[in-house]
Amino acid sequence: MISFELSEQQKQIKEMTHWFAENEIRPIAMEADRLGKVPDEWLDNVNKMGIHLNTSSFGGGEKKSSSSKKKRENEGNRMGVIATEEMAWGDPAVALSLPGAGLGGPPIQSSGTPEQKERFLSIFTKDEPKWGAYALTEPEAGSDASAVQTTAKKVDGGYILNGQKIFITNGGRASWVVAFATVDRSLGRAGQRAFVVEKGTNGFSCSKLSKKMGLRANETAELLFEDCFVPDENLLGGEQLYKVDQSKPSGFQVAMKTFDSTRPIVAAMAIGIARAAYEYTLDIVKKEFPRQGRSYFLAAELLAEAEQDIEAARLLTWEAAWKADLGIPNAKEAAMCKAYAGQMSLDVCSKCLELLGPVGLNGHLVEKLYRDVKVFDIFEGTNQVQHLVIARRLYEPYGIRV
Amino acid sequence: MISFRSTEEELTFIQVAKNLAKEKIRPIARLSEEEGMVNEAFIQKMSELGLLSMDVPESWGGLQLPLISQVQILQALSYGDLGVIQGLRGLGDFGNLLSLLADNPILTSYKEQLLEHGKTVALVDIEHEEQNIKLTEQGNFYVVNGTSHPVRFAKFADFVVVAGNNSEGQTVILWLDSNNGNQWDVEEGDYRLGLLCSGLASLTFNNLQVSKDHVLISGEKATEIMAKARVRNRILQAAKEVGLMEAALEYATEYTANRKAFGQEIAKFQGVSFRIADMAIETKIANHLVWSAALKADEDESSADHYSLRALYRAHRSLRFVTDSAVQLLGGHGYVQEFPVEKWMRDAQAQTMLYGRERDLLIQYGEHILAEGIEVLNL
Repeated sequence: MISFELSEQQKQIKEMTHWFAENEIRPIAMEADRLGKVPDEWLDNVNKMGIHLNTSSFGGGEKKSSSSKKKRENEGNRMGVIATEEMAWGDPAVALSLPGAGLGGPPIQSSGTPEQKERFLSIFTKDEPKWGAYALTEPEAGSDASAVQTTAKKVDGGYILNGQKIFITNGGRASWVVAFATVDRSLGRAGQRAFVVEKGTNGFSCSKLSKKMGLRANETAELLFEDCFVPDENLLGGEQLYKVDQSKPSGFQVAMKTFDSTRPIVAAMAIGIARAAYEYTLDIVKKEFPRQGRSYFLAAELLAEAEQDIEAARLLTWEAAWKADLGIPNAKEAAMCKAYAGQMSLDVCSKCLELLGPVGLNGHLVEKLYRDVKVFDIFEGTNQVQHLVIARRLYEPYGIRV
Repeated sequence: MISFRSTEEELTFIQVAKNLAKEKIRPIARLSEEEGMVNEAFIQKMSELGLLSMDVPESWGGLQLPLISQVQILQALSYGDLGVIQGLRGLGDFGNLLSLLADNPILTSYKEQLLEHGKTVALVDIEHEEQNIKLTEQGNFYVVNGTSHPVRFAKFADFVVVAGNNSEGQTVILWLDSNNGNQWDVEEGDYRLGLLCSGLASLTFNNLQVSKDHVLISGEKATEIMAKARVRNRILQAAKEVGLMEAALEYATEYTANRKAFGQEIAKFQGVSFRIADMAIETKIANHLVWSAALKADEDESSADHYSLRALYRAHRSLRFVTDSAVQLLGGHGYVQEFPVEKWMRDAQAQTMLYGRERDLLIQYGEHILAEGIEVLNL
């Protein structure tokens, strides 16, 4: 039956992550933004606590349990979006900087061989903070992911990679990155492969860290591949994954597939940011605004619009996550929630800044959240790309490819 | 546990409703509008299927379905045509009150007449907006004087329910029976915009003396019941709007998938496909907020009022956007009556005018947010 009530377990996850966000993340938010990084000591501490950012809840459709027990419904995706909303509520830049596989996790989970999953995902222990990363974007290939120009030339024992990646979250500090390259540009998408390139590999370097409008505490790197040798065993999924076969995905499809599970997570982050701005502003309005007159009605109107936009985005996100949990195709819903959350979250921050007025410029969290949240309508597929995905699904029954 | 899955029973009802919408409702939409009413035979059929008694208490032989089920079925029916759904004569908006007043002795005495199809009730909710009607207590009578805003079923009403505050500020709900000495004038007016088969008219009461025997309920209990009835009505109206949005979205999608211009289907132009995507997002958002409100109302939670305001506000806003977009995407064809979308846009606008000003709904629920101790955002 239809229900929007959290189960006991979901409530617990929400409460726990909220506690962590409120007591550990939020207190360092403004300082981390000022410094342009999350303090190492803090990262070390949270790593010892075993706290990682869950950027995927990729559970639907995986190997079936052979147990004869009644199979419980998978809840991983719903848990993921609930927890992530709270983490981002604390602070999005700090949340994205948490140790763990990060955005590199989903492709390995979904397409790696059992040996690769073990080798790359088992490094995230409490001993020291480590990161993974996802390297797709290039100077000439952003929304058009099929235009990747980094080349992978087959040689004895592996591949030689040449090219450049930009806008890579945690790219400089990552122990490994999942990098997308093409073995033959003339094959287009069919020529793309995903490689796990480990830090310290000859010919692999981080050339620059970008200064940004927001998410300043989170590392955004440019990566360079200069005759970088990557062994065969680091080709994600192995050769058999890419054999020319309609039923098997290309590297391009490996890249695209993960979006159906990461988009709800990114949407959840945008929702957490919007909610943080809204609650912060609501608190000030309740304490400092008059209880009648023009400012009062202005505040009522703006906050009401903000609140229902946040809830609207959240329910879209929950639907996408619910479908993923049940193994139902959710590309349309994943795109919807990302498009809406990305757009509304900036709008909510903007409304909050309107209410705060000039005072909001000086040392208040909301202006930072405004700067942070803009990129959520851009990365993981721009608002326009999301619209394209939605439109494609809507027109599919009519045989039109838009 | 978060879930978006309907129950098996709901799915069965929805399927029946969807089939009716496509095969029976949509084909009679234009004619019903031209004739200013839905034909009796169709209303009879809807009644036989139980679709006019979803809200009616079980003690009255109704289905008394939870709101979450009702909204899904109404969505499916309105997908046929909102104008026809709003023209299904019978209990109308009074149904929300009836569900809360099933044991009322006055209503019980009218049970047989009410359940018989064709007996229609118009509801005048004075507190809903400032209206030029006064209720004054005079000895053993209430005097009703003034003219209402246009309400649904005014032209067809066999009975009128007037709900408002008397001069002492007490809520009173009156039951008026034209066969029992209660008279009112129907101000027919000049209605052209939409919902034209729902019998829209204003009702004028010329110092009508109504005996206190016709008071269904008054005082604090009446205030409480009216508040709940308004919550239910907002949610049900919003659900109908979602159904219309779904119709407009689907129609526009199919049209643009086939219509060619500049050498290709116009769906391939992003100005078109992105608008369709936005229509789909808005429709889904309104749908979710309606369900969210229905679930709260079924649990009788105090926050249901807040959620119902939010659902109706967003439904109005999204409805205007989606139906307007459907006309826009059909171009010139969208403007002429050979295609249904122009009627849907007109019906949509009339609907939003009848059931609460958007900005007013928004500010009311914003005031809830600013008040102390109101739980928001499901924290």
